[in-house]
Amino acid sequence: MPVMAVPAGGVVADVVLAGAGGIRAPAEVFQRIFLVFLALGTLVGTVVITYTLYNAYKYRYREDVDPAPDAERPQMGELPEGGGKGKKLFLSFGLSAVIVLSLVAWTYGALVMVEEGPSQSAGQEELESLNVQVEGYQFGWDYIYPNGHKTSTLRVPVDRVVNVSVTSRDVFHNFGIPELRVKTDAIPGQTNDAWFIAEETGTYQANCYELCGQGHSYMQTDVVVMSQSEFDEWYSNTNGTESGTNSTQSPTGTESESGDHSEAIAR
Amino acid sequence: MSHGQDHGHDFPPMSSVKRWFVTTNHKDIGILYLITSIFVMLLAGALALVMRAELFSPGLDFLSSASGYNQAVSAHGLLMVFWFISPFAFGFANYIVPLQIGAKDLAFPRLNAMSYWAYLFSILLFVISFFQGGTFAGGWTMYAPLNIPTYMPNVGGTSVVLALIMFVAAVTMGSVNFLTTIYRMRAPGLRMRDLPMFSMSIFLTVWMMLFAFAALLAALMILGAQHLVGVNYFNVDGGSLLWTHLFWFFGHPEVYIVFFPALGVMAETFQTFTGRRIVGRKWFVLAMVLVALQSFIVWMHHMFLTGINLQIKTLFMVTTIGISLPFDLMVFSLIYTMIKGRIRYTTPFLFSLGALILFILGGITGVFLGAVVLDYEFRGTYWVVAHFHYVMFAGGTALVGGLYYWFPKMTGRMYNEFLGKLHFAVYFVGFNLLYFPMFSAWETPRRVFVFDTSMAFWHKIATVGAFMLGFSFFIMFYNLFKSMASGEEVGENPWEYATTAEWATESPPPLENFTGIADYRGGKLSFLSESEANAAASGTATDGGTATDGGTPPAEASTATGSGTATGGALATAEQALATRTVESEPEHADHASYWPLVVCFAGFLAFLGLSGIQQGGIYYGFAGAGGLLSAIGFVGMAQESFHAPEPTIAEQWPFANVPNMKLGMWFFLSSDVVLFGGFIGSYLFLRVANGWMFWEHELIPEAHVTFPGLVNTYLLLASSFAVVLALVAAHKNSSRGIVASLSATWLLGVGFLINKGIEWQHLFHIHTDAFPNGWNLATNVASSTFYLTTGLHAAHVIVGLIMLLYMIPRAMRGAYTGEDEASLEYFGLYWHFVDIVWLFLFPLFYIL
Repeated sequence: MPVMAVPAGGVVADVVLAGAGGIRAPAEVFQRIFLVFLALGTLVGTVVITYTLYNAYKYRYREDVDPAPDAERPQMGELPEGGGKGKKLFLSFGLSAVIVLSLVAWTYGALVMVEEGPSQSAGQEELESLNVQVEGYQFGWDYIYPNGHKTSTLRVPVDRVVNVSVTSRDVFHNFGIPELRVKTDAIPGQTNDAWFIAEETGTYQANCYELCGQGHSYMQTDVVVMSQSEFDEWYSNTNGTESGTNSTQSPTGTESESGDHSEAIAR
Repeated sequence: MSHGQDHGHDFPPMSSVKRWFVTTNHKDIGILYLITSIFVMLLAGALALVMRAELFSPGLDFLSSASGYNQAVSAHGLLMVFWFISPFAFGFANYIVPLQIGAKDLAFPRLNAMSYWAYLFSILLFVISFFQGGTFAGGWTMYAPLNIPTYMPNVGGTSVVLALIMFVAAVTMGSVNFLTTIYRMRAPGLRMRDLPMFSMSIFLTVWMMLFAFAALLAALMILGAQHLVGVNYFNVDGGSLLWTHLFWFFGHPEVYIVFFPALGVMAETFQTFTGRRIVGRKWFVLAMVLVALQSFIVWMHHMFLTGINLQIKTLFMVTTIGISLPFDLMVFSLIYTMIKGRIRYTTPFLFSLGALILFILGGITGVFLGAVVLDYEFRGTYWVVAHFHYVMFAGGTALVGGLYYWFPKMTGRMYNEFLGKLHFAVYFVGFNLLYFPMFSAWETPRRVFVFDTSMAFWHKIATVGAFMLGFSFFIMFYNLFKSMASGEEVGENPWEYATTAEWATESPPPLENFTGIADYRGGKLSFLSESEANAAASGTATDGGTATDGGTPPAEASTATGSGTATGGALATAEQALATRTVESEPEHADHASYWPLVVCFAGFLAFLGLSGIQQGGIYYGFAGAGGLLSAIGFVGMAQESFHAPEPTIAEQWPFANVPNMKLGMWFFLSSDVVLFGGFIGSYLFLRVANGWMFWEHELIPEAHVTFPGLVNTYLLLASSFAVVLALVAAHKNSSRGIVASLSATWLLGVGFLINKGIEWQHLFHIHTDAFPNGWNLATNVASSTFYLTTGLHAAHVIVGLIMLLYMIPRAMRGAYTGEDEASLEYFGLYWHFVDIVWLFLFPLFYIL
């Protein structure tokens, strides 16, 4: 099955979605923040390392040249004292503090948005999200739809919010679909929620990201993103194990209240 | 080499094999740690190479079964993090710290030897686990419930847990030892703030170790109990999350525990090889202190995807990204130190500079991980793997530099500089070939050998880099071996601009480190003879030197402790700058050898080996029994042995000037024990909340569990504490009979406590109700498990105290503990009161609430 690879640092068009009422998919959020961090990190890393190597070279030992003949050099047996009052230190410290704290503040906004799910975005019509329960086990994933149908391939419509409620039937797993940028821990005895929007049809892969035993390396399932109409057709042909009848209603529900990563401890 | 103070102790020379089994000298033990840890590095490195070979192409699977790969990756992580990198650092700490502070040895030399042997035998137990149905295969993070017997039934899994417990014991003994030494045995004039950078880094490391490892020990003891007696902790609601909390509360300080010694080495080598003092040293030290404290409030950044709420995630995002700031300061301090320097590109400097660059890269990628939204994707991927290898192995890189730096001091010979540079070149290229591609291939999930073909190219490069990195070490081994035999001989100090005291003595140093007593009161290092030191202790301060600021800690003479030798004591208060002291007519002998540490630790190894397979019976019973018996013999032998570890004649001891070494050591140990109980109590509270506080009481605890036995036990323990106080009073009055009577009363009350508990437990084990048809025992449910295990841990502490009393009472009958000798009684009292105070917390938690 062809898997769409998203090369690290590849550019994804930062456009607002047309189909989902203006909600930005977590994938886009991630991509943008990642690129900014990458650019900034590369810049800072290059500057600092260059400066380091520059100094290391400039002040290399030369027999005939002492760059600071008046400078105090460490003496054997001296009580330690710091050279210089460290004013320069505070300049660089202050600069890095500003950068780092700005990053925190900026990403906080994105964090809130991802946490609270698309329900908080202003100004769109009633969401039609799909809720799927995900159960991890040694060594695969089961997907359970609102009508009770259980499958081992996750099928979702394109351009729709999909809420996954993830748990485990045995050990600690982690459910992630890398190309759709959704991931959460699958912990026995509790349910963690996450959400995503798939922007293009195709087949993706879900992996396990927490070592869970001998089959961990093979714990993958397919994720098929199809058009809304194809999805509706497929869904209506599934036999919900609970309901027992062919359901022709669309699988919309009220938007999930727990579209965030809140934990629901079984009790 | 001359040993001016070697009084013919029957201490075997370095060339004799026996020497290495009985030595308690810090330099020998340092060398033992260095060599042993390098062996571990080779083993864990080989495991890594096997993994990288399998990762050369996706889908290769030649490690017999999937379990083989999982075993390799888990063992690689466990061995490297626990059994290689910190012990390697502590090889240097053992060798160098006493030299740097002007001490002759650590405060508790036999305890130091025990730390090493416990370390060695725990490695042996780990290696044996491979042959007991396979070793632990759940990752070095040992997540629950994969770590419990239901999912990990092989005996080898249990052995690893037990080996790690043994290792934690070694670490705790080491922390107590180093803390006591650094506080109480510094050269006069060397204030805490004057500690050389390496010793300072070790000082902060052992503070972190004391508390962090106690939390891990709680987790391991509970896990071990789940393996051996089937308690229910990690298989119930909240159990998985409990493990992650316990493990990461330890796990995050652990990574700084790993890195700090390397930071200390970098600071030392940067100063020496640039010929400039560390820029902003005061702030550098403060930054380290800040990191040490802050390291305990960032752990949940390992848990961003576990379903914790937004407020907590935000808090930990802030503390995590915040912790990068002190590191920023330290990095820039090192960079600015190079300015106006006269930098020599020696091998140690190259490794330290390389380490700095690697750390910068690793640190930047860590900031990525601190941004929660990004972590949501990086979780469980190679971004994390690349990040932590960059930072942790940067630490390792600096430590390799330390090996070259101190090699001349330890061996008296210089290594080959060309080969050293060659090693660095191959190492640095290999390192980056190995780990940098992991950022490109970051989407690869961790701990898998099947991955997308789009990333295969990067993994191939990484595998090549791995073999290159591994190969580079053979250059080092060849270099060091050859140089030990035929390298150029060096004098005291081969490095221009080195300032610290280890460079002011022979290479290698004599047995007791210096000829004379190191003294910094004149503003720089000088050496006093014994008589000068005694005179200085009783006379006025030496002339000249830098003025010390207000609040100078007093230089004090201290009484020597240690079994067997009574010396003239001296009193000094903190306000007085100097103290008078009755001078010994002859210098005090120090002992340097004892075989009991080896015996005790070997016994411990046998006992743990027996425990690991105890459910299978057979030969394991034999091991356990032999181990138990031998350890009893060992402890008694060690207590009976006359081993003299004199405290320094004159030393800087703020703020513990009036606290003898043993007492201070006991306080440090008890602090760690507090955290241990904190871990158990915290686990109980966490699980009880997760399962429903009142549900617990109504459904999980039988009616038969009533308050009364707990109340009786409370009275018994309080009375026994009072009895110990009476014993001390009797000691003051030199009344042997009073001591014996009070200690016997303590013992009887303690036994009464245990009998009462035994009756209570028996009753609960045998109830037959509808809810509990098979009784309420250790394995019944989570409420019973937490009850029995926590109060059981406490009962074990009581038993240890009673055993100590069995040793002390006969001695008291023969007149011990009167007069000057009451110190041991006081230390026992401290322990016993601690045990009682713990009960005062357990009683309401388990009987009333």
